[in-house]
Amino acid sequence: MKTASHKLALLAIVLGIVALLGEPQAGGSVRLNTQELAYIVEGKIDHVDVEELADWIVQGRSDYRLIDVRADEDYASYHIPTAENVRLVEFGDYPLYRNEKIVLYSDGGIHAAQAWFLLQAQGYKNSYILLGGLELWKDEVLFPALAEDASASARAAFEKRRSVSAFFGGQVRTGAATVEETYAVPAPKLETAPNVVIPQRSRKQKEGC
Amino acid sequence: MNAPFYKFGYFGDELYLIAAFTIGIGFGFFLERAGFGSAKKLTAQFYFVDMAVFKVMFSAIVTAMLGLFYLSWLGIVDIALVFVNPTYLLPQIVGGLLLGVGFIVGGYCPGTSLVALSTGRIDAVAFLTGIVAGIFAFGEAYPAIEGFANSTALGTVTLHEALGVDMGVVVFAVVLMAVLGFWGASAVERRMAHKAGAAI
Repeated sequence: MKTASHKLALLAIVLGIVALLGEPQAGGSVRLNTQELAYIVEGKIDHVDVEELADWIVQGRSDYRLIDVRADEDYASYHIPTAENVRLVEFGDYPLYRNEKIVLYSDGGIHAAQAWFLLQAQGYKNSYILLGGLELWKDEVLFPALAEDASASARAAFEKRRSVSAFFGGQVRTGAATVEETYAVPAPKLETAPNVVIPQRSRKQKEGC
Repeated sequence: MNAPFYKFGYFGDELYLIAAFTIGIGFGFFLERAGFGSAKKLTAQFYFVDMAVFKVMFSAIVTAMLGLFYLSWLGIVDIALVFVNPTYLLPQIVGGLLLGVGFIVGGYCPGTSLVALSTGRIDAVAFLTGIVAGIFAFGEAYPAIEGFANSTALGTVTLHEALGVDMGVVVFAVVLMAVLGFWGASAVERRMAHKAGAAI
């Protein structure tokens, strides 16, 4: 008994002395399987559609993190409800967990795609790109258009998009309006957007004793 | 880097709970085997008769510390992802004193009271009733003490960051403290035993 505890104490001291030489790695790198990434990109399974995202927000789901990678002032002028603003250079310090579903968006999608690679390289397997970015969000969700010669079933289906658009404070484009005119329509100000309840993300404290 | 498993997404919520349950059962089992299901054994600590609590807890700390340090040195654990309780200096000092008083008066700390309950001790039932009542009272009083509970927030503080030294230096210092502490504790035990013997 006596000798066993002495040996353990000796072991602890040796390990403690060796520890003086070591510096543990923090936030290190992971092995990147480029082939797997290529398959993900080619199979388009790294995408989230704007309609899909709109549904999630309308349903008030909280099982995803929506990340706006644009500049602060762009984020301030308009962002998709529930989005958090994280620029590319800030990803290192921003509290994101590797088991969270992370949806990235930028104006067109290039910066989002680059952010996606940064996250994948750090082991965030569950990250996605909003397909078409904010531009498609405006085209399809905020200001959806219905063609003049749309069929009856298409018109019926459009009713849902009309209500979703209203939910986010947008409006339906009339058939005559061109895309250029659409962009002339100012993006809805967040404070005037009706009905949009941005759920306050309560950071889940699953840890500690 | 592939640990902590939960944060790298290897564990879903279900597996995470199962793992937590299994580890919890193991923890409780070994506490009971160490004699920590007995209030007499636990309170003996405060009379310096039996320093087992100090020794067990300090060996657990040293074991976990060395394990984490070396696993992260080997690149198996990402130490940046290991949860560190944020520091609220004053509320935690007050809370620590409260817990200490409760420990001496009641004979248990929260974990060991559950261990004692599992072997059917009546005093553990009384103690746990007190815990539940305390949690309830705290919850009800929370609006009044919220300001204090969130005061002196220092964020996540670790010793090596606060002291501005390498993590290895802190590891070495804690190991040294533990070994000296064990030696001192054994010396105190011998003295108390001698005293008790002399009294008889």
